[in-house]
Amino acid sequence: MTTHTSTIETVDKKAGGREANLGLWLTLPTQLLVVFIAVFPILMQLYISLTDWSPLDGIQWWRAWELWNTFANYTDLAADSQFWGAVGRTFLIMAICVPVEFLLGLGLAILFVDNFPGRKILYSVLLVPMMVVPAVAGYMFYMLFQSGGPVNDLLSIFVGYPVRIAWLSDPTLALFAIIVADIWQWTPLMFLVLLAGLVGVPEDQQQAATLLGASWTRRFFTIVLPRMKAIIIIALAIRVIENFKIFDTLFIMTNGGPGVATETISVYIYKITQQDLIWGYVAAIALAILIVLSLVSVFAIKLIASKEQAS
Amino acid sequence: MSKITHISRRKLLSTAAQTTTVVALGAPMYLSPFRAGAATGLAADMIGGPTGFDGAERYQYGADTPEGRAIEAIRSLKSAGKAPKRIVLGLSDGSVGQITKPFPAGAPSIKELWEKETGITLDIIGVPSGQEFTKVMQDVTTKGGAFDIYAVEWNRLGDLAETGGIVNLDEYVSAHKPEWDNPERGYVGGEKGVSLLNNYRGSTYGVSLDGDFQTWNHRTDLFNDPTEQKSFADKHGYALKSPTTWKEHDEIAAFFHRPDDGLFGCTDLRNQGWGYTNWYQRYVSMAAPNQFLFDDDGSPLINSEQGILATEEYIKSLAHHSPDAISWGWPEQYGNFANGGAAMTCAFSNLPKFLDNAGNSGSKVTGKIGSHLPPGRVHEEGLVRRTVLWLNLTASVSSQSKHPEACYLLLQWLGSSRIYSWMTANPGGYFDPFQLSNFSDPLVRETYHGYHMDIVRESVRRAVPTINYPGATAFHNALDKNLVASLTGSISASEAMANTEREWKRIARRTGEDKLVEAIKANKDAWPDIIDPA
Amino acid sequence: MQRTLLFETFRFSIIFLIIALTLVPTLWMVSMAFKPIQEWSASGGDLTWWPKNPTLDNFRFIFGESSSELIVALERGAGRPILASLLSATFGTLIAMVAGTTAAYGLSRFNSGRNLPLALIQLRLFPPMAVMIPVMIMWAFLGLTDTWWGLALIYGIVTLPFAFWLMKTFFDDMPREIEDAALVEGCSRFRVFLKITLPMMRPALASSALFVFILNWSDYLIALLLTTRDWVTIPVYMASLSSSMTGQLYGAKAALGLIAAIPPVVMGIAIQKHLVRGLTFGALKE
Repeated sequence: MTTHTSTIETVDKKAGGREANLGLWLTLPTQLLVVFIAVFPILMQLYISLTDWSPLDGIQWWRAWELWNTFANYTDLAADSQFWGAVGRTFLIMAICVPVEFLLGLGLAILFVDNFPGRKILYSVLLVPMMVVPAVAGYMFYMLFQSGGPVNDLLSIFVGYPVRIAWLSDPTLALFAIIVADIWQWTPLMFLVLLAGLVGVPEDQQQAATLLGASWTRRFFTIVLPRMKAIIIIALAIRVIENFKIFDTLFIMTNGGPGVATETISVYIYKITQQDLIWGYVAAIALAILIVLSLVSVFAIKLIASKEQAS
Repeated sequence: MSKITHISRRKLLSTAAQTTTVVALGAPMYLSPFRAGAATGLAADMIGGPTGFDGAERYQYGADTPEGRAIEAIRSLKSAGKAPKRIVLGLSDGSVGQITKPFPAGAPSIKELWEKETGITLDIIGVPSGQEFTKVMQDVTTKGGAFDIYAVEWNRLGDLAETGGIVNLDEYVSAHKPEWDNPERGYVGGEKGVSLLNNYRGSTYGVSLDGDFQTWNHRTDLFNDPTEQKSFADKHGYALKSPTTWKEHDEIAAFFHRPDDGLFGCTDLRNQGWGYTNWYQRYVSMAAPNQFLFDDDGSPLINSEQGILATEEYIKSLAHHSPDAISWGWPEQYGNFANGGAAMTCAFSNLPKFLDNAGNSGSKVTGKIGSHLPPGRVHEEGLVRRTVLWLNLTASVSSQSKHPEACYLLLQWLGSSRIYSWMTANPGGYFDPFQLSNFSDPLVRETYHGYHMDIVRESVRRAVPTINYPGATAFHNALDKNLVASLTGSISASEAMANTEREWKRIARRTGEDKLVEAIKANKDAWPDIIDPA
Repeated sequence: MQRTLLFETFRFSIIFLIIALTLVPTLWMVSMAFKPIQEWSASGGDLTWWPKNPTLDNFRFIFGESSSELIVALERGAGRPILASLLSATFGTLIAMVAGTTAAYGLSRFNSGRNLPLALIQLRLFPPMAVMIPVMIMWAFLGLTDTWWGLALIYGIVTLPFAFWLMKTFFDDMPREIEDAALVEGCSRFRVFLKITLPMMRPALASSALFVFILNWSDYLIALLLTTRDWVTIPVYMASLSSSMTGQLYGAKAALGLIAAIPPVVMGIAIQKHLVRGLTFGALKE
């Protein structure tokens, strides 16, 4: 960042205000879109989160003040064990999916980094799950995990007796099935990004180290990995962000069930929005999430900035 | 295989069409005298209705019938310039066929008939099943105006009425006299039945287009098999027949439960969103005439000895279900039953229509399905057998419609006994019989089978309503969630009931207790009091 | 890595194991798509890996032609939903890429819009479900509900952060010398951006666009809540594929799933040579 800033400064000095103007024009569409999508929703949610408003009350949202309840939604939220359960589950899924996807992706990337016969084909085949629409993947995994389904068939071959596990009817196993589906769908992305990173590590330093007699493991951990730090952070960030919102495949496979065993934040909000229709409360949850996420993002930006400083 | 039949059927149709054309072209003079008669084809004194098939006169109507009045009223609206050009009806995908596919051979479709008689285009928008309410709420809250008529689950009537998104139909009902409570043709239970299906807090908000009274089925090939009968009698000391009590039911289900041979004892649903309707049946029969869900003052009654007992039974019954029971919805249930995978099940009354159906070459149980009344419990007063009204598409007029009266008239026409009998007989969709005239109609009996129709009629008399107060879905979800948790063993039966009670109280507070107490009373009026001799 | 026989054996066995696992769900989908109705049932215990009587009926069915007594032909074929998905995902991608690329360049070169990195991270982190109520109300107010352009707009906005972040790292990474040289020759800044910078960024643009497109193409939740009838997309439409006679029409769902995989695959092949280089996200700095 620092070096770039200096370039910009010199350019700016040369061309004066017109340059800055161009910068403003270039960023304008994005700024407008952000304002467009942020202002009204935040203000509206802030307003109705202080009321008991629900579409069931038969009044339009701007009249929600008639049902003013001050902070009742927020105190309810603090005591809502189902919500906190969903939060915990969301992070549990993330804590398993992201590292597994990362390690699998990294391992595969290492195997693919140098050329071998069939590399191109195999590489394309590995990317296939990314191309399958998650909703379709949901229906397919639902079938695969039936007790008389293919997953149990495969297991039966390995263990030698008929396996009849009811994956989606057991709270723990259903969670496991959800995690498998997510790993299946998103490991390819990790692989793709990490492979790109690995390919980009310059050869010369590695060769020098090889000449000095450093083992492969040593070279990997002392030269390759540190060089990939930035891309690893990006790969992890993408998956953390997307996994946090996990909904499509999961919703079709289990609908958040059995019970609430696979209910994540998005699924919980979906249910109270569409079924319970307590929209004032939904708004309170949305704002609480917004506040927490803002803190997280500030932290993330700082982290990225410091990494850029370092490099 | 299917490809060959496909081609040949198609060829046949086109040949038939050609022949007709040739005859029509070749002999116009000869045919013309019959034209006038064929064009109306109506029996004496009839002003409208379908023509072109045997028995069509049963569905034709005179001026002094609900259907006739609806058509006449539309015509006078039209001449006053107050009728719309088209009416947009949002409908569950699976039901559209009953309105758009001609049935039986030679008949027009319901849509064609309506358009011919009124000149108003009927525009049907299919909504994927399960998304009905989402789409309707979308339309109501965003004032989208995408539909003139909504068709949603009956339980949602209260919720929808409270949003102000649907029209109070009282005025039109008194003006056009739908005769829903007609003792010969109308709803089972007369006025009580009407208030159960169409009313919310004393006013008409919907017109029932469905009869989702959950009905029990069993496999006659298994129940009538002498070897099975003998070994059952040897084991339990009484004859194998369709069960009358829950105890018998559970014993028979356990007897037939042979998962290794691909046969489950019973597959009444246990999943999220549906399973609790089967808990209802066990719970409400715990007292005579009924074990209610709420007290008259609005306090929940489920966290009680009866509630816990019903829940424990409900959990125990998982033993004779598919291991996947907790994740199965009706599509899996129907698929499994069609495959001969279960001895008994409890389903929508259309199960025999679809699975005991010569046209359904994929069904292995054609000709092997029987129906029986819901199992019950013996009390001092007698045997209390209860089933449950669940889902049931009910149509309501959107407040955003510019022509609510015309929309209501369409519903009166569609939902009255003659047109409805004709429609429900059509195997092209989900709408099920619920009126007295439906049960006795030969065409309906042919589609649904005689053995089944009498059982459905009697099941309707023993059906309790599910929750239809404001907040219905929240109440059901709380119950549902805890029941599933108890099924998976995460919590005990008593914890499930205690949790549900706590959550219900919270929902009641949010909904407003006075509103709720009134709705609970109205709901209770519709509960059956029939008790069978023990 | 030494190229020993042992290592190669290890490499190939691991790769083939993972590919085998990867392909199970995919092949299942392919196999389902060609199975006749009788072989669909999820619950009959009669599931086979390969169709016993392969057929194209499922494909015919989703385009509105039923070849079996069992299921009533669809009122609406899949043609319209496919069109809806194509239009909304393509134009959504266009919005995200244009706005994201220009903004990224503006920030990278002129230090404008320093609020954007944070704002856009927040935008992407936020679960769309939590904000759908106001969005539904806004969209209805603007007449954007149930239109492909309304869907394209929201898609453009929710994927904008990715376009922005990807392109920003590329721009940060790009050597300035070429641009500077052009400037010295008297080209305007904007001309340099259009004529020199963007063409150099082609691999980056292509792979970012693919990524953004896949995200838009996959969406289920937003389309579920913002479309009603005219412009439902493929994932929403998927729920229509069930029947009372046979239950869920998994064969038809799989057939549609196969068709839905075509656009991303075609795009992926078209930009394959850029893919690895493009997705370095510019994170690799000397």
